Amino acid sequence: MPKKTQTETVTLTIDGKTVTVPKGTVAVDAAKTVGIDIPVFCYHEKLGPFGCCRMCLVEVEKMPKLATACTQAVGQDMVIKTDSPKAVKGRQGVLEFTLLNHPLDCPVCDKGGECPLQDNTFEHGPDLTRTEFTRYNRDKAVPLSPVVTIDRERCIACQRCTRYSDIVEQETALVMVNRGFQNRVQTFQDRPYDTRFSGNVVDICPVGALTNTTYRFKSRIWDLDNAETLCAHCGVNCNIVVGVRSNEFMRVQAKSGENSQANDAVDDGWICDKGRFGYGFVESSNRVLKCRNGKGDTLEANDALGQAATQLKKITDEHGPQSVGFIGSPYGTNEELYLYQKLFRQQLGTNNIDFKTYRQTPGLPVEHYDVGDIETSDMVLLIASDPTEEAPVLDLRIKKSVSFFDVKLAVLNDQKTDMDKPAASSLRYNVGSEAEVLSALIEALNDKPVRGLEKTAGIAPKQIKDLAATIQGSGKVCVIYNPAALTGSASDRILELLQTIGGLPDKQCGAIPVAPGTNAVGALDMGAHPNFYPGGLALSDSEKIKTLWGDEAPLQPGLSALEMIQKAASGELKGLVVFRANPVVDFPGGPTVAEALKKLDYLVVHDMLETETTQLANLVLASNGPGYDDGTTTNIGGRVQFRKRSLVREDHPPDWVLISRMIRALDPEAPSYKNSFGVTDEISQKVPGYEAINKNAIKGMGMPRKGSACSEVQGNGAPAAEKSENGALRLRVANYLFAHDKILDASSPLSHHFKSSTVYLNAEDAKALGIETGDEVKVVSGDAEVSAEAEVSDRCNPGAALVPRVSDEQGLMALVGDPDAAVWVQIKK
Amino acid sequence: MTQLLFKHINVEGLANIDVYEKHGGYETLKKALEQKPEEILETVKASGLRGRGGAGFPTGLKWSFLAKDVFPRYLVCNADESEPGTCKDRELLLKNPHLLIEGMILCAYACRVEIGYNYIRGEFYDLCEIFEKALEEAYERGYLGKNILRSEFNLDIHTHLGAGAYICGEESALLNSLEGMRGEPRLKPPFPAVEGLYGKPTVVNNVETLCAVVPVVEGGAEAYAALGTEKSKGTKLVSVSGHVRNPGNFEVVLGTPTSEIIEMAGGMREGRKLKAFIPGGSSVPMLPAGKVDTPYDYESLQAAGSMLGSGALIVMDDSANVVKETLRIASFYMHESCGKCTPCREGTRWLHQILGEIESGRGKDENIELLQDISDNMSFKCFCPLGDAAIAPVLSGIANFREDYEELLSQAKAGAAAE
Repeated sequence: MPKKTQTETVTLTIDGKTVTVPKGTVAVDAAKTVGIDIPVFCYHEKLGPFGCCRMCLVEVEKMPKLATACTQAVGQDMVIKTDSPKAVKGRQGVLEFTLLNHPLDCPVCDKGGECPLQDNTFEHGPDLTRTEFTRYNRDKAVPLSPVVTIDRERCIACQRCTRYSDIVEQETALVMVNRGFQNRVQTFQDRPYDTRFSGNVVDICPVGALTNTTYRFKSRIWDLDNAETLCAHCGVNCNIVVGVRSNEFMRVQAKSGENSQANDAVDDGWICDKGRFGYGFVESSNRVLKCRNGKGDTLEANDALGQAATQLKKITDEHGPQSVGFIGSPYGTNEELYLYQKLFRQQLGTNNIDFKTYRQTPGLPVEHYDVGDIETSDMVLLIASDPTEEAPVLDLRIKKSVSFFDVKLAVLNDQKTDMDKPAASSLRYNVGSEAEVLSALIEALNDKPVRGLEKTAGIAPKQIKDLAATIQGSGKVCVIYNPAALTGSASDRILELLQTIGGLPDKQCGAIPVAPGTNAVGALDMGAHPNFYPGGLALSDSEKIKTLWGDEAPLQPGLSALEMIQKAASGELKGLVVFRANPVVDFPGGPTVAEALKKLDYLVVHDMLETETTQLANLVLASNGPGYDDGTTTNIGGRVQFRKRSLVREDHPPDWVLISRMIRALDPEAPSYKNSFGVTDEISQKVPGYEAINKNAIKGMGMPRKGSACSEVQGNGAPAAEKSENGALRLRVANYLFAHDKILDASSPLSHHFKSSTVYLNAEDAKALGIETGDEVKVVSGDAEVSAEAEVSDRCNPGAALVPRVSDEQGLMALVGDPDAAVWVQIKK
Repeated sequence: MTQLLFKHINVEGLANIDVYEKHGGYETLKKALEQKPEEILETVKASGLRGRGGAGFPTGLKWSFLAKDVFPRYLVCNADESEPGTCKDRELLLKNPHLLIEGMILCAYACRVEIGYNYIRGEFYDLCEIFEKALEEAYERGYLGKNILRSEFNLDIHTHLGAGAYICGEESALLNSLEGMRGEPRLKPPFPAVEGLYGKPTVVNNVETLCAVVPVVEGGAEAYAALGTEKSKGTKLVSVSGHVRNPGNFEVVLGTPTSEIIEMAGGMREGRKLKAFIPGGSSVPMLPAGKVDTPYDYESLQAAGSMLGSGALIVMDDSANVVKETLRIASFYMHESCGKCTPCREGTRWLHQILGEIESGRGKDENIELLQDISDNMSFKCFCPLGDAAIAPVLSGIANFREDYEELLSQAKAGAAAE
């Protein structure tokens, strides 16, 4: 594993060329800088030197033996020859050994055409074989999991995959077993290799041994059109390469050293299995392909959007601008969300614009850190966030930082997560007490006495003081938190905490908010908020707003998404556009949301998949969505990247066209755009912080936008968490990215990741309730109930019931009312 | 005949601490604890003692390479004796475990180590029991544990039984195995003296080496260095096997002619003549009978085209066919290659396949050249010395006994013609 920045350099000669590189660089990488390609199999820059395949043998002057260039750190004045007869024969010999028992089935191998073994054989291999024996026959097409298949004959035992499992995903799920020529890649006791990151081994396998089960024998790689684009599942926005043949989706790879250049500022070249195997939604049978009205009549896109625009306008003319609203989605692109807020603010005159059900305002009181900043921090403070389940690739980055860059990880959470293992310290507070805990931490950081928290939060003051001392003692602190998991006034307390840490002497502090969705950061930036214009302009900032948006710009506070649902129920809201969201299932209230939506005069649902909400719509607008539409997104690190389309739909306009046509339907003077970057350019003019963002600036690796200003931190202190009555438990809903949702429909190859409905209870509560692990129980709140299997564990402190959201069918959100208020549930057998 | 390690080897019950003490056991330790650790280290350095496991690296120098002031640091005794032909450590463990314990304590004291491990070959489970019993006795007498003999020096020794792999005799693979990982050699550098067990400075020594520390410290560096040749000091246990009348372990002063050692083992069988011998275990080149008077020491054997290795003298008389013997050895290396690096994993098997063809009368003339070329492609290109060990008998066999190969090849030709 390469260490942090090395400033000292050495100068040496490779094949007569002078090379100057940082001290400690291995010869393979040094050679690369002057265009000399030394062949490797086992070496991978993200895994560090290993030296087992021996492919990279080179001659080093004054060394009696050939050296492996992947392990040989270069030294001052070293003279390396890759092309001496001795080195050439050495490599040729190694390649002959490598091919000795290899089946040479390139014509039917998925790797053919992008295979390092094939390439190196052409370049460095012997012309003829001297193998006179039957090659060693081994098992072919052995499933390691539902998504990864191994061909043991092709394996050259380079151990990239096993080292990946050990070093990167840190699961040691893949290991070598047996010895000598009988060694093989295997899982412990033949259990499935079912980690969240298993697919990466397919990318890094230098031969066709580890294959993507969903892609096996589907295409030759030279028939693929590859689009370098972004994953659309969580906020990390990992860089992927989508392979398409004749406009048919074939496969997803991580964008990495294997096919391009890894984006170290985002994903470090790794993606999770949802990103790799969860792309099936582009060809799901559940897609909305045509616009239609409430009766089910198919409409032409232009007719449909025209109807939507005029109908919404009619409602505002009759009932005033507050009678319409927009519920967007953290899955939309910046362009789509920008245009929608523009439609609602400029053409319909309302601030009833939102995309979420939790409390969060734009802007941070400290720097918005890029994901890459985690590595260079001294400390990572993880608050209420479970990256492993919510934004998996972040989990890899944190583990890497802890293991190889000595980053200290402190966890503050109400549930036990996989991050407790790499953490130097881990505090578990009672569900619902986060505001109180954050207040205490702020007090401790200000060297004020910390009041007793044991009873209400389950944490001792000393633990808070120790955590504060660690923060005070660390130079660069990166705070990672999940805004959606903070209840009550904790959304203000977290900002106050950041302000406090940032204000400590000799401190660098930044934050990474990890909210659900692909583009939650971008959605806030684009003004999908009832109280903020794009770029975090508060409504009180009327001068600026008027300059940017004209004198007519509405300044009356809008309704939040949940308020819109309430006003729909009360009949005050008449028209609503729901864009790529499914409130009926995802919003607190569940079925009551459906009842509210039914009362609307006019419900437009703009989505790419059929949902419970599209079923209620008066007008359904088909959305192409990721895969088919271009656009930019802003990831959790504030980095704006381009999500290029990989597939083409010629019979339906992209969303950004559709929305801009709605605007033009109401204002023929409004601009039309040549392509999605036309909208991006308008964003750069209208959205503070996005001035520098344009097509060229974000090419390749993307570019961080400037974070918007943080509005004043509200209030002070926090009330103690509410108390339970009648032995009820406080409900905590945990989010799983690998949930059985509309995106990963039943035919998903990831169904082995789907979990059954489970309620986690602390042993203390379980005992009082007489419940044991495995009991079938009902989680009940008011009239609503959810079936689950009980699991007694220390996942959360006593007094709480933790239920992960595992599927759309689970109906979990029916239990939740106002997300700001505590939800108390009874557990019944 | 100078006997240092084997002085009391045949004393009844020597494995018992009372018997061991009666024959002067642990007296050296008592005196040593009155000296400073550095003085012991200097003694061992000055004695010229070299590693008896195979590489022959100067022991004191190895100790002095331990990373300065990094603690904890570890001592690991390599009791994974598995080199074909070698059985000297086995005899020490079986009959004189306390000598090893005393040697380990001396080494630990000199190196300021407080935790030691004895990594014992998996098949030696009975010897492990003997060693553990001896450890118990040593703890009871206060030679191990806290504040040993009121010297304020602490040492704990743990045993670890291997799982049956030749490669774990290689020190870095041994450390991996000891840590619970797969027995595969590690990348060097860093060497164990800098980053060894659990990433800490570690001294790894062979059983015989650690045992030899006792007479070195007991008699002093000068006395020890007076034995042997200019660069090969002291005595060496030699395991004589093969076509001799009385195979067994013999302690000889380094520099003794090889022929004399064969005589110690009873000499050749009736009516048989010496054909070949392997002086240092299956990993070193075999030599023809003409070199049997080579003095048995590191330098002379190297000059003769072989190595002293682990001190396993394998004797072959004129009834032996070198191709068959080489095939037998090749089969061992194919079985024991860990599979980590390509040339060794694939090469050991390929060599075995071709030798098998020749041996079974299906060889071709070009096979000899092929064997040499495969060996050349393995030579110094493998991850660890196992690959080089595997080619030593092949290349030396072809160089010295080509007629054995040619005979089988011409038989193959005749057989093919007859068909």
